[in-house]
Formats: sequence, C-alpha cells, structure tokens
Amino acid sequence: MATKKKILLIDDDRDFLMATKLILENGGYEVFMAEDGKTGLEMALSISPDLAIIDMMMETWSEGFNVISKLRSTEIGKSMPLIMLSAVDLQGPYQSFEPPDEMPSVDMVLNKPIEADKLLKYVAQLLKK
Amino acid sequence: MSYTQDRHKILVIDDEEPIRDGCKQALEKSGYNVITAKDGQEGLKAARENHPDMVFIDLKMPGISGMDLIDILSKELPDTISVVITGFASIVSAVEALKKGAYDYLPKPFSPDQIRVVTKRGLEHRDLKIEARKLNEEKKFMEKNFITFVSHEMRSPLAVIQQYIESLKLIAGDKLDENALSIIDRCEKRIQNLKELIEHWLDLRRIESGTFITDKKNLNLADIIRKATEDILPLSQKRGISLKINIPENIPEIVGDKESLIRVFVNIIGNATKYTPSGGSISISEKHNDRYVDISISDTGAGIPKEKLPFIFDAFYRAKDKEDKHRGSGLGLTFCKRIMDAHGGIIDVSSEEGKGTTFVLRFIR
Repeated sequence: MATKKKILLIDDDRDFLMATKLILENGGYEVFMAEDGKTGLEMALSISPDLAIIDMMMETWSEGFNVISKLRSTEIGKSMPLIMLSAVDLQGPYQSFEPPDEMPSVDMVLNKPIEADKLLKYVAQLLKK
Repeated sequence: MSYTQDRHKILVIDDEEPIRDGCKQALEKSGYNVITAKDGQEGLKAARENHPDMVFIDLKMPGISGMDLIDILSKELPDTISVVITGFASIVSAVEALKKGAYDYLPKPFSPDQIRVVTKRGLEHRDLKIEARKLNEEKKFMEKNFITFVSHEMRSPLAVIQQYIESLKLIAGDKLDENALSIIDRCEKRIQNLKELIEHWLDLRRIESGTFITDKKNLNLADIIRKATEDILPLSQKRGISLKINIPENIPEIVGDKESLIRVFVNIIGNATKYTPSGGSISISEKHNDRYVDISISDTGAGIPKEKLPFIFDAFYRAKDKEDKHRGSGLGLTFCKRIMDAHGGIIDVSSEEGKGTTFVLRFIR
C-alpha cells in the first residue's frame, strides 16, 4: 500500500484546522496541524510534508508571509507546494490591505471558506507536479 | 529584539591614526566588526556602503567636518547611532553635535573600557529605537487597514462555519436524509446573506471613511458593464433570463472610480436578475448628450409598488417579499446611491407592478 501523502495545516483558528483536516483526511491524506507560525515552521522542517496550507493572518497580520518566506529559504521548503489561505479577498478590489513589497512565492492563494471538492482537487493538482 | 547573532558593525572616523587603531583594537576585542576611515569623505563612503550600527566621528577633521557628517548620517541612516569624539576643549561643539542628532560624545583621551561602555549603551539605544519604530509602523498599519481587519474578524467565524458544513457534507452527506440536507442548505444560504450584509456594511463604512473612492480615472462604461455582467451571467443563464446589452463601444468616457462603479452595476443588474421570473429579460441601454451619459437597466420582473418606491434607497428598507426568498442585505441600493452621489451622478428608478422596473444611472460627462 502506498504511504499517505503528508499535508501540514498552519492556522491559528483551531476550528478551521479541524474542519479542513476532516476534508483532507477524507481525501486520503495524513494531516498535521500547527496553531501558530513558529510551531508550523518547526513542524514543516521536522516532518517535511508533501504540501503545506498556511493561513495569512495569524497572531499578526503578516505571520503567514513570515512563515512562507522563512520556509522558502530552507532546503526542505524551497520547492514544497504551498497554498496560502486568507479570509480576506486579496484579489478583491476593495481591500485597503497592502501586501508586503516582496510577496513570498506560493503556488496558490485561496479564500476561506474553500469548497471541499475544490480543495481536494487543488491539493491533488499541486501534489502531481 | 536581539542582534547577537550578527556582529555589530562599528565605523570609526578619525584623522589620527593612533586613535583609529586604539578604537579598533578595543572594540574588536569585544567581538565587534570594526571599519575605520581617515577623513570625512572616506567615512561617508564607508557609512553608505556598510550601513554601520554605530559610528564614532572625530569632530575636527580636514574636508567634510564631523558636524556635517552627523547631519548627513542622521538623515540618510537614521538607524545608525553616531557618537562624537572630541577634545576636552570642544565640549561646546559636542553639545552642538548632540543637537544635530549625535547620541553621545566621547572626550579625548579615553580608555578602551570607556569606548566599550559608550558602544554598549549606544547599541542598546539603537535596539530600543528600532523596536519603537517598528511598533509605531505596526500601529499606523493597523489604523490604515482598520476596516480590512474588522472585515477579517467578522468573516473568519463565518468561514469556519462554512468550512465545517463543507466537511460535514463530505463526511456524512450520504447518510443524511432530505430534511437534514435541506436544513444544511438553509444554513448555508443564511450564512451567505450574513456575509453579504457584512460586505455591504463595510462598503458603506469605506465610503464614510473616504477610503472607497480613491482612484478616479477616465472610464469607458461599456467596459464597466461588461465586467459587471461577467459575474451575473451564470446566474441569469441558470434562471433562464436573457440579458440584452446594447452599449456601443464608443460611448463617451466618464470620470470615476472603476471598482466601485462595477460594484454599482453588479448590484443593480444582480437585483434585476433576482426579481425577474424565469423567461424574462433584462435590457441595458445607453443615451447621451453633451452633458451627461444615461445608462438604463430595465427588467421584466415583479415591479415595485408605487408607495414603496421613494424608500428603496434607504438603508435596511426592503420591499417585503411574501415568500421571503429574495432576501438581500438591505444595503445594496443605499450603497449604489452613495457611490453615484460621490460621482456627482444621479440614480433614478421607475416601476410598474407586474411589468417591471427601470433604473437609470446618470453620469456627468
């Protein structure tokens, strides 16, 4: 039997973690959760997941960005597929939110909530690459 | 905040070689990274290239004077702490240097311990200064993006509920009977309504705080309407309503804020789609003269009773629907009116019950 692919979820909302974990586990993945950026980064480096899903606004407005840029600077995180999540529509025209000058590179940006089938589809797509 | 991992960079600018060497030795012994320069010119170059954490500057030097250097550095490198090295006789100039932005002064002659103490204190001051500035930046950022943060706080719990519903449907969907599924469906609809309400309320707040219409440009209304209908087309097709758009590409330009005007059209055309029964139609047409451009949006929907027409732009006023299926936020048209007002335009409505409603948006050319 093939081993399950590992997905790391980093979000400061425990309920959101649980809900998303249920969906991903149903899709046949092994799911790890971290409730803050620091723990998330440590877990990413220790378990080396096949993909990570990271919330943008955690303890601070830019915690997600910080985690992603730190992760990208490591050997393990350099080419790890990353999905950034946001409850604020970043592409929306009405946001006064200004992203940092240097946006760390992510493979996908998704808005919360995510429909279950879409999430599973996107995750599968990114894992195939 | 800790800078212990990086070695602090210290620049010493003095025209006397023994002083430069003395400082370098004393500071390197404490683990600092020391650069030296023999005059103001060389010192300025080294400071610009190396961005030192701290710089010691002799006040009496040929060329660029120490005083000028402090002046330049405090402007160009605000995070660099400058300390002046001064002869006993020139305490007055040391005071002047402090006024210009130097942090401290070191009277000649000084011992290695003295320079180390001054350095340690200066670097601590630097850390505090940087930390204070970062906090201040964060505070300003929060103020500027306040509405976005409020929006995030309001949307997050709803997103969580929706995410739970998504997982519930996935895990247990096939075990639930029709009643249970319809309850879930109703929950989703009501959450959607609440999200819309929050969205519209935030839009109104943005208008009031002046952060909404920030970017007025020359605009082609045909573009705006095309963008707005892109969002609505799937819904109108699903409901079997035909959308007839008759706007010439060479329609006269108007001046306005693109994003908020798209939102206005999405609101008006979206409403028309909601209130028009399947098989009906919505037509969008244009009329202009040399002073204004009118866009009409007509539907073949239920119409709005005459006595209710005067109130439809008021916040939370809704032409009550018996079946309660057309629940909106109650703020959509209020938003449209405020945006049109902000553009110096007019929004007008006429309606006949059972026949349909026409909204006219008038823009000044």
